[in-house]
Amino acid sequence: MFEPQTLLVLIPALPLAACLVTVVLGPHVLRDSSHWPTVLGLVGSLVLSLMLVASWQQRLEVRGAPAELLVTCWSWVDVAGAYRQAPAPPSPTGVAVQPGGLRDLRVDVVLRADALTAIMLVMVTFVSTLVGIYSIGYMRGDRGYWRFFACISLFVFSMTMLVSVSNFLLVYVFWEAVGVCSYLLIGFWYQKPEAAAAGKKAFLVNRVGDVGFALAIFLIWITYGTLNFHDSPGVDGVLGQARLSGALGYVGGGVGLAICLCLLLGACGKSAQFPLHVWLPDAMEGPTPVSALIHAATMVTAGVYLVTRCAPLFTVSPEAQLVVASIGGFTALLAALMALTQFDLKRILAYSTISQLGYMFLALGTGTLAGITAGMFHLFTHAFFKALLFLGAGSVMHAMGHVIDMRRFGGLRRVLPVTHVTFAVGCLALAGVFPLSGFWSKDAILASVHERAHQLDHELAHRQPQPGAAAGHTTPDRPASDRVVAGVDSHARWDAGREGGSGPALSTGQLRQHARVYRGLYWVGLGTAFLTAIYTFRAFFLTFYGRERIPHEAGEHAHESPRSMVIPLVILAVGAAVVGGWLTGTGGFARLLAETPSLTLATIRESAGAGGFHYDIAVASSVAALVGIGLAAFLYLGHDREIELLTWLLDGRWLKGLAERPWGARLAGMPLVAAIRRGADAAGLGSLARLLGNLVLLLILLLISPLLIGYYVSPYRLSRDKFFLDEIYAVLVVWPLRATAAVCDAADRWLVDGLVNVLGRIPVWAGGLMRALQMGLVPFYGLAMLLGILTLIAARVLWGAG
Amino acid sequence: MSELALLQNYLLIGALLFGLGLTGFLVRRNLIVMFLCAEMMLQGISVSLVAWGRYHDDWGGQMLVVFILAVAACEAGIALALILMLRQRSGSLDIVAWQQLREEGQARYVDREVPEEREEPPQWPRLTPAGIEPPWDPDEALHRSHV
Amino acid sequence: MNQPLLLLWAEEASRWAGRAGGAWHFLVSPGGRATAAALVGAAGIWWMLPGGRRLGRWFGCGLAAAGLVILASLLPGLGSPLAQTGFWLVAGLTLAAAAATVCTKNPVYCAIWLAVTLLGTAGLFLLQGAQFLGVATVVVYAGAIVVTFLFILMLAQPAGHAYYDRISWGRVPAALAALTALALVVTTVHAVALLGGAAAAGPRTPAEGLDAGARIAGPTALARGEDVLHPDHMARLGGQLFSRHLIAVEVAGTMLLVALVGAISIASQPSRGREGMGTR
Repeated sequence: MFEPQTLLVLIPALPLAACLVTVVLGPHVLRDSSHWPTVLGLVGSLVLSLMLVASWQQRLEVRGAPAELLVTCWSWVDVAGAYRQAPAPPSPTGVAVQPGGLRDLRVDVVLRADALTAIMLVMVTFVSTLVGIYSIGYMRGDRGYWRFFACISLFVFSMTMLVSVSNFLLVYVFWEAVGVCSYLLIGFWYQKPEAAAAGKKAFLVNRVGDVGFALAIFLIWITYGTLNFHDSPGVDGVLGQARLSGALGYVGGGVGLAICLCLLLGACGKSAQFPLHVWLPDAMEGPTPVSALIHAATMVTAGVYLVTRCAPLFTVSPEAQLVVASIGGFTALLAALMALTQFDLKRILAYSTISQLGYMFLALGTGTLAGITAGMFHLFTHAFFKALLFLGAGSVMHAMGHVIDMRRFGGLRRVLPVTHVTFAVGCLALAGVFPLSGFWSKDAILASVHERAHQLDHELAHRQPQPGAAAGHTTPDRPASDRVVAGVDSHARWDAGREGGSGPALSTGQLRQHARVYRGLYWVGLGTAFLTAIYTFRAFFLTFYGRERIPHEAGEHAHESPRSMVIPLVILAVGAAVVGGWLTGTGGFARLLAETPSLTLATIRESAGAGGFHYDIAVASSVAALVGIGLAAFLYLGHDREIELLTWLLDGRWLKGLAERPWGARLAGMPLVAAIRRGADAAGLGSLARLLGNLVLLLILLLISPLLIGYYVSPYRLSRDKFFLDEIYAVLVVWPLRATAAVCDAADRWLVDGLVNVLGRIPVWAGGLMRALQMGLVPFYGLAMLLGILTLIAARVLWGAG
Repeated sequence: MSELALLQNYLLIGALLFGLGLTGFLVRRNLIVMFLCAEMMLQGISVSLVAWGRYHDDWGGQMLVVFILAVAACEAGIALALILMLRQRSGSLDIVAWQQLREEGQARYVDREVPEEREEPPQWPRLTPAGIEPPWDPDEALHRSHV
Repeated sequence: MNQPLLLLWAEEASRWAGRAGGAWHFLVSPGGRATAAALVGAAGIWWMLPGGRRLGRWFGCGLAAAGLVILASLLPGLGSPLAQTGFWLVAGLTLAAAAATVCTKNPVYCAIWLAVTLLGTAGLFLLQGAQFLGVATVVVYAGAIVVTFLFILMLAQPAGHAYYDRISWGRVPAALAALTALALVVTTVHAVALLGGAAAAGPRTPAEGLDAGARIAGPTALARGEDVLHPDHMARLGGQLFSRHLIAVEVAGTMLLVALVGAISIASQPSRGREGMGTR
């Protein structure tokens, strides 16, 4: 019915129109019906996205159809001869240099549809629609009802545009736009100081990441001469056919590494990875639908989308890929550790999001098609079950009168039956229990990491028997040089046979190191799966099982949520349960994603295959999940043994006795020691003996000091206080900034304003002087008149002509 | 007689009269005395005018003086009426009493020190002494007979 | 001819500067004498003004007289000794009375001294040949205006010397200002002598005066030929007054009427004023 081009333009346009209508008509006309434009727009976008995917499937069946679709909306910047480029010899980067070195600056708003975009659009619009319907019930009666829906539709517009545009600059624009929407929505209840502060924190921490993104854009501009993804006449896009097919290739070495690391910084900011993860838990101050939409399913996945989109850029820099994987794995573990001891249900889910995003980055860091597919697949399924969990938490909050501290309620499975069941489904999916969707995606991630480590081991083994130069390939035993052209150029291609190429040459030492890291990351992933199961089911059992406690704020609300809130829960539960297995079974997701032009790069395509099902890994992850669930059940099901057991163990209570007993005195009081002392006194060496005794005591103290430190900084406290990262940032970053701002403020107030005030006072002072002349005395007026006349006459007489 | 010399002399007198009148006008504080000095200024001008008229053999000088006379008379009448009114309002003939035109925030001008009026010693009339002095009795002076 | 007067004065001063006894020669020169006269006279007047000490008043009087004498030495001679003496007497009387007007503390005395000044001025008019004006000054000015002043003084003046008659505000600036004014006038007069009166020495007939006037004032006076010094003074004056200045005479009459009415209306306000102040 619709042309794909029209669909592509309409999908962002509908939410934008909804936003404008809500803003104009919302406050006074629509009021409590302000949800209609937004919901209708979102439903429309969802339908159009599904139609786009369907048409895409049809296109792919036709041989020779282009894998991407371009729609040029308008030309934003078009300056001919905008700047002069120093003439360079014809470089393999293929920069279009006009005679004379003058270059044009041209930025067009071009929407580009390929498989990746289609998948992201479907996910975004689907979750947005369900969250929109949910918000009708959740936000009912709120004073800012229309403002909420306006911001939601603006956000959906920004997100859909982010995944659709075909230029790095425009991605940056919408990157910022989603950040702004996040700020607006986190601080939705702006009168609450914590919410306003959380909004600011989110925006500012994102800003730090955006600096990285901007630097990456600058570097890409310098290196590739253009910021477009697509090819246009005369200019080869960064992700265009010319580069992807290997004719031009990508720049590796130091520049490539810098680009990738800067992109990673940007992605870390938006996707809340270490060290820029601190904003996401505080972002839970916003309404729960916002948390579900933005901070679980859509905005935080923008970073993952960016890394996936720029996969070709990452392939030429294995070090960068390693960094991506390491950060992903580390963050996953860190967040899981922090989630173990939180009491705020939404905060647990926030840390869980950070952890799962870490998983996605871990998968993307392998650089293989399997890894990238696994990461995107996990993103897809994660959207389902995380949104489900958040909406369920919202349902609990709604029933409990906006109390979210798990210590204050319990045993809610009879009060909220539907929420209980859907939440259970979500938890099982998150923990990765067969056959729910989380199992399939997490398994794919672990499998890809394992494969990568395996592949690197193979390379190592392959190299060992032939040190130095061998026939068939020139693999110098030194790091890759700059400006290596990847792709079909045989000079740098791995002669690895069935395992395929994997980018530029790596030295043996590097290979060994990489292999070790990936293997370690595999075990990290497995351990994090175990921890995920624990904290997820801890939250589940603490909320829904045990003694039924309802806080007094609940009042009349302690019942199941209205239908508008329950139906999305059910839909998402069905999705979370079914989608993973279905997509993996049919292989449709992998096939569709593989059609993305970026992922057709030879090195990615021919890397470790997305191969068959790895039974051993599946078993390992399932065992980890089940053991975790069991442990959680043992600790939390029906009772609150945490305080007694874990705090005793991890909080170092058992060290308390050690630290407090007067060991020194008891030692000194022992008969043996007393005997020694008496003997030493008799021998005249009393003081020496006493000194030795003190030294021995000091030695014992030094030996047990780690345990004493552990008493004060116990693992439990570390985990509960988020490893003191917020406090560290406050000291390192916030306090110096505040001091600088205070200095600037003082300088502005006293120096600049002081100078201006002084300058302003000068006329006043001068006027005061003049004013003193007006004494009101008539003789003085007469004198003044006389003096004036005299001056005139004198001038005329003495200096006048004749 | 040199016409020019005559002119110069009278011009100088007129200038001096004018200058003195100007000084008095600026310095004196009594309203009426100020006005008297203004009249003196007019007289000085009149002297100059008559001198110029004679020098140029022009009746215009004396004509103008006639009119100055008339105008001075009118001016004196109205000015004295006004001075009377001012005196009614402020209670004195002092011009410094009227300071309402001063700027906001300016302090009122107050005389710092007024020289004391030297009290003239009262002049008692000198009367001729009347009566005869009684004879001096040394005895009586030494030994008083009665109390 | 068109050199600025200041330059002339400066030139004269510089001529004597730097020479032995140059200061004395400068003082003796006309420019120097004018300067000295102005300074001394101004100092004297300042000394005499109310607010000074009693002894200082006589000292100031002496200073002013000295200044006057120096100034007199500047003036060119009038030719015949009779005219000269008469002029000096009358002029001296006028100036002394004027100084007394300005410096006396008692305002009644000021008015009396002003009357004396007016008598002197009348004498000056008579010496110039303006008989009508001389008489008119005495009759109208001294006889009517000063008497009116005295009436008002008697009405309004408090008994004894009021405090504001004993002090003066701004003596120094006023004296300086008057001094400057005088200096300017004297300089101008002197310059007229320097510039215009190259052939000023020697007695001249009225006809020669005419020529001189014509040279300075232009041909109009010559064309008019009015002859101010004609024996038929009153008739001529009347003729001029009622022919050339007829409208001005009528207007002057109307103005006198207006002034009369105005004075009455202003002076009859006290009842209104008092009521107004009472209700406030």
